[in-house]
Amino acid sequence: MFVPIIAFFVIFKYVPMGGAVIAFKKYNMMDGILHSPWVGFDNFRLLFSTPTPIQIIRNTLMLSLLSIVIGFPFPIILAILLNEVRRMWFKRMVQTLVYLPHFFSWIIVSGMIVTIFSQQNGIVSGWWESITGHTYPFLYREGSWLAIFVGSGIWKEAGFSAIIYLAALTSIDPALYEAASIDGASKWKQIRHVTLPGLQVTIVLMLILSMGRVMEVGFDQIYMLQNSTVSDVSEVISTYIYKVGLMGSQFSLTAAIGLFESLVGFVLVLITNAIARRFGHGLW
Amino acid sequence: MKPSMGERVYLVGVYSVLTIVGLLCLLPLMHIASISTSSLQAVSAGRVTLFPVEMTFAAYTQLFENSPVVSAFNNSVAITLVGVVLSMGFTILAAYPLTRAYFLGRRLFMMGIVFTMLFNGGLIPTYLTIRNLELINTYWALWLPGLVSVFNMLVLRTFIENIPGEIDEASRMDGCGEWRYLLQVVLPLSMPVIATLALFYGVGYWNSFFSVLMYINEPDKYNIAVLVQQLIQSQMMLAQMNGLESSEQLNLSPDMVNSAAIIIMVLPLLFVYPLLQKYFVRGVMIGAVKG
Repeated sequence: MFVPIIAFFVIFKYVPMGGAVIAFKKYNMMDGILHSPWVGFDNFRLLFSTPTPIQIIRNTLMLSLLSIVIGFPFPIILAILLNEVRRMWFKRMVQTLVYLPHFFSWIIVSGMIVTIFSQQNGIVSGWWESITGHTYPFLYREGSWLAIFVGSGIWKEAGFSAIIYLAALTSIDPALYEAASIDGASKWKQIRHVTLPGLQVTIVLMLILSMGRVMEVGFDQIYMLQNSTVSDVSEVISTYIYKVGLMGSQFSLTAAIGLFESLVGFVLVLITNAIARRFGHGLW
Repeated sequence: MKPSMGERVYLVGVYSVLTIVGLLCLLPLMHIASISTSSLQAVSAGRVTLFPVEMTFAAYTQLFENSPVVSAFNNSVAITLVGVVLSMGFTILAAYPLTRAYFLGRRLFMMGIVFTMLFNGGLIPTYLTIRNLELINTYWALWLPGLVSVFNMLVLRTFIENIPGEIDEASRMDGCGEWRYLLQVVLPLSMPVIATLALFYGVGYWNSFFSVLMYINEPDKYNIAVLVQQLIQSQMMLAQMNGLESSEQLNLSPDMVNSAAIIIMVLPLLFVYPLLQKYFVRGVMIGAVKG
């Protein structure tokens, strides 16, 4: 029963991991991965001696840290707010609406963004023009592009991420709230001293998981939103590997960047978990 | 207990913020839907907000007549249906044995599988593996690499683990074999989780874009996501290059065609979503509590 599963994980997960040795080779089609000549760390040296890859790694880190730092509190706040609602039909309706964007692909979301922010007759540009008197190329300026990038990420995922916090909230003992309220704690104080401590474990867990993903910002979102005008901030590892590696057949060089990405991500998870464990909330 | 003044203000605040958040999720979609069904004059004058102005379905007729939208749509349906069945089957085959205490090497396999969640070979080696298996330009390249999502597998495993051991014992007494126990006892009991995971896999396959871009080179095999992306990009270029001349004759603007394509892609999701919503909240929570 389990044999196909082992086969799957070996062929599609562990073989590519072995294939990562391509980063230490000078790959050519004729010899394949195994028989191409070894070049040691040459690909990595080449990588870190040119400015483009370094800038791309910097962009990757910046974009994902930006989304994590700004986006992280939103699902928590949303879950706390939803938890306060006593009218079930209202709660269910809001939940239905906020989960929905999670199921749209970035193709859909970025299509909406392009339409809404388009300079010619997008609705946002229309408002902007009626307020300031001139149009503004929102998707073609670095500052506003970053804002749209982070904002669209929050719009798409904050609601769905709130599910996990909502689940954690249901496990808080209602007696704690009663006790707090009898002791005269205001709503605000109840959130600070009962709700947030109750969520602490989940918050730490989610933080560990998101730290592990620092090195990967989703391909689809960036690829669909980026344009040549903002490439200085928007070119990231995954889009670079796709364009230069796959389209330009620079397999070894970009595999080196990819391996670097995987390793850093892996180490980050280990470090965050070690820190979390010190506080007694480790993942393993 | 009657709520105090402060509490009332607080609740009004909570309800209004949530109303605004909920509307923020809905309104962009309504706006796009309205653009796709309004007249060119209204769209270019920026008069369309939340409801169609001078309603017309020209953008849709244009899409269905002059482009491979229909075949791409069918491709997407095929990719999704087969993908869900394959992924679900293999996820069950992975999750069930891992719950059996007498399964030798269980912990080792578990570690091996979870490790793939934390570390992977990267894009290029994966691509080369698929290419060496000669799966390029076949849909197997879409189904196989992501066949089992480790996270989904863990969710299902946790659920099966929580089925009371007494049920297991009772069915064994009645002479129930391993397969029969899985098919006739475990699976029916796991229906809520299975429905959830099937939805997740389905949405994933329906939306698959990057893998199609990477592994499929023949345009007639493209799915709707790639088609919509190309449409958006070519419309963007068209708008930049020659104004709107060519589409003006059709009484269409690029925005209208884009919006119509987006709506075509969203509609199937909107149909399935309400049916499965009640399951996925529970399903996700099972996974979350376990962590």
